[in-house]
Amino acid sequence: MSEENMEEVQMLEAQIERLQAEVEALQRQQQDNQKDITFQFRGQMQDAIASLCGRGPVGEKERVMSSLKEEVEEMEEDLRRQTQMNGITLNGCNAKTLRSSGSKVVQQLCLSGRCSELDFQVEFKLSEVKDGQKSQRTISDLNVVLDSNDLQTFSSFVSSVEESCDLLLFFRTLRTFSDRCDDRSRTFQHFQQKYPSVVSLPGGCRSEVMALSHAELSGCVLFVRWSIDVSREGGVSPNIELLTKIPDQALMLFPCWPVGGAAEAFQSLLRILGVEGAMESIIVSFQQEV
Amino acid sequence: MIANCLEFSSGVAVVGGVANDDAAAKFKNLYWMFVAQQRHYSQRNKEKDSRNMEAASTKAGVLSHLSLLEVQARSRRTQPQQQSRVKELKAKVEALKVQKQQLEAEIETHQNLQKLRLSLDKQCADEEDVEMEEDSENSQLLRLMARHTQLKDLLHAHHLIGGYDIIKTHQGKGVCVSLATAYEGVYLDTYNLEIDLKPTVKIGRHNIPPFIPVNSLAEVNDMQTNMRAFLDALSQHLNAFAGRKQQLKLLREQHKSVEVMESNVLCSILVLMFKVPSAKTAVLCTLDYTDHSSCLPTRVHFECEDKQLPDSDQWKKNCSLLMETPVHTALTAMKKMGDIV
Repeated sequence: MSEENMEEVQMLEAQIERLQAEVEALQRQQQDNQKDITFQFRGQMQDAIASLCGRGPVGEKERVMSSLKEEVEEMEEDLRRQTQMNGITLNGCNAKTLRSSGSKVVQQLCLSGRCSELDFQVEFKLSEVKDGQKSQRTISDLNVVLDSNDLQTFSSFVSSVEESCDLLLFFRTLRTFSDRCDDRSRTFQHFQQKYPSVVSLPGGCRSEVMALSHAELSGCVLFVRWSIDVSREGGVSPNIELLTKIPDQALMLFPCWPVGGAAEAFQSLLRILGVEGAMESIIVSFQQEV
Repeated sequence: MIANCLEFSSGVAVVGGVANDDAAAKFKNLYWMFVAQQRHYSQRNKEKDSRNMEAASTKAGVLSHLSLLEVQARSRRTQPQQQSRVKELKAKVEALKVQKQQLEAEIETHQNLQKLRLSLDKQCADEEDVEMEEDSENSQLLRLMARHTQLKDLLHAHHLIGGYDIIKTHQGKGVCVSLATAYEGVYLDTYNLEIDLKPTVKIGRHNIPPFIPVNSLAEVNDMQTNMRAFLDALSQHLNAFAGRKQQLKLLREQHKSVEVMESNVLCSILVLMFKVPSAKTAVLCTLDYTDHSSCLPTRVHFECEDKQLPDSDQWKKNCSLLMETPVHTALTAMKKMGDIV
C-alpha cells in the first residue's frame, strides 16, 4: 500500500471514530428527550417534526401545516366541550415525566384552573403500571391549594382529600359547592332586583348574607344567612337561617313580635315553601309590615 | 535420467498394483535414486547460472527493468483495492455527518418546542393574549406544535380529574359520556353512557350495573334541563359503590382472620365475624350502608354472646370508628388495639 493512501485511510478512520462518538452522544440526548411523554409524538405531530428537520419531500410543509391546523382546531373545540360539560376551567397543565421504564411510568402533574369563582392549584404524582393487557393508575402525594375567601369551610375537607389522594372527590365536591354558590348568588340577586327597597346585599352577591331592612324601621334588620358547608367526606350541605337584629326599643313597642320564634318559624316556612318561597314570603311580609 | 524416470514411474505402477515386499523395496530404491539425481543436477545448474549471470552483466539492466515492471504490474492489481477502501471510508464519513446533522436538527427543534411551550403556559397562566407575530413558516409551525402539546395535556388533565370525556355521536343527535371511578387514589372501573338528544333527551345504551338506579336519578335531577346535575349525582353513586366494593376487596386481602359472612352486589350490606382474643368469643358485626351515595355505613351493629361487650367503652369506640373510617382501615386500628384478632 502506498504511504499517502495509508495516511488518508488513517485520517478518515479517526474522523469516523470521532463522528461515531458524537452521533452516539446525540442519540443518547435524543433518547432522554423522548422519555418526556409530552414530547412523544404520533400522527400529524410526527409529520410536522419530520418536515421541520428537513426529512421528507420539500413541498410537504404546507400540507403538514394545514393538517396540523385542522387537528389543533378540533382539539380546541373538544376542550371547549369538556370545559362546558365538566364545569371546570383548566388554565394550565404541566407534566414532568419522573420515570419511564418498560412497564411503569411516573409523572408529576401540576394543574391550575378555576371552578366558577374559585381558583385552585393541584399537584400530584401519577403512576401507571402495565400488567399485560391491564394497566393500573394510581395517584399519590396530592397537594391542593384553594384560593377561597372562605378557607375555613374547606380546610378539613382539603386535608382529608390530600390524605386519601381522592382527586376525583375533590373536583366533584368543588363543582357541587360551586353550583350551590351559584344558586345562592342567583337567588339573592333575583330578590334584590325584585325588592330593591327592602333587600340589600351587604357583602355582595357572592356573600352568605342577604339583609332585609326598611327605611321606616331603622335599626331593625333581618338577616338571611345562607351558608354552604362542606363536610370532611365531601358532602355539600346548604344551611339557611334567619337572624334578627332588633333594638330593644322596637322590642318594647312590639311586645308580641315573636323574636325568638322568628328563626324557627322561618325553618318551618322553608320546609313548606322551599327556599325561594320562604324568602319571598318573609320579604313581602316585611314590606307590608310598616 | 529419462530411463530412470520411466523405471521409477513403472515402479510406482507396480507398487500401485501389487503390494508385496519386493516391489516396495524396489520402489524405495528407485525413489531415493531419483531424489539424489535431482539434487546433483540442480547443483550443477546453479554453478552454470552464476557463470551465466557474470557473463551476461549487460543483461542486468534489462532484467532489473523487467523485475520493476513486474512489481508495478503487481501493485496495480492491489491499488484499486486501496482506492475502493478510501472511497468506502469517505462515504461512511458523509453518512455519519448527515446523521449528526439530522440529530442536531431534531434536538434543536425539541428545545425550541419546549421553550415555546413554556412561554405559552406562562401566557395562559397570566391570561395574556397569545402574541401573533409575523414570522417564518417554520416558527409558525413550531408555535402550532407547542399549542398542540398544550391542548393534549389539558385534555388529558380533564380526563384525569374525572371529567365526563363527552363526545358527540350520531352526527350530533346524541352524546356519549364516561364516568370514571376511583378510591383512595386508585383508578377503578369506568362506566359509559349514551344519551340521545334528538328527538328527546333520553338515556340510551350503557354499561352501568342494574342496581344503580340510573332512570330514577335522571328523573330526580331533571336530566332534560340539567344534564350535569344528573351526571354529578350518577357519578357520586357510582363512586360510592366503587369505594364500598374496593373496601371489601381490601378487607379480604388485608384481614384474612375476619370472616365475611354476608355481602351483596351493591355492597350496601356487610356482615363480618370478629374473633375477640380476650373474651374468646366471636362478635358478629353488621354494617348497613343505606345511603348509597356514601362510602361509609349509616349503621353499625354488634352482636355477641357476651351481652355486655357491645356496651363497653372500647366497643362503643369501635362502633364510632367503623362509622367514620373505611372498614379496612378501621379493622387495622382495632387489631392494633388488640380488640380483635
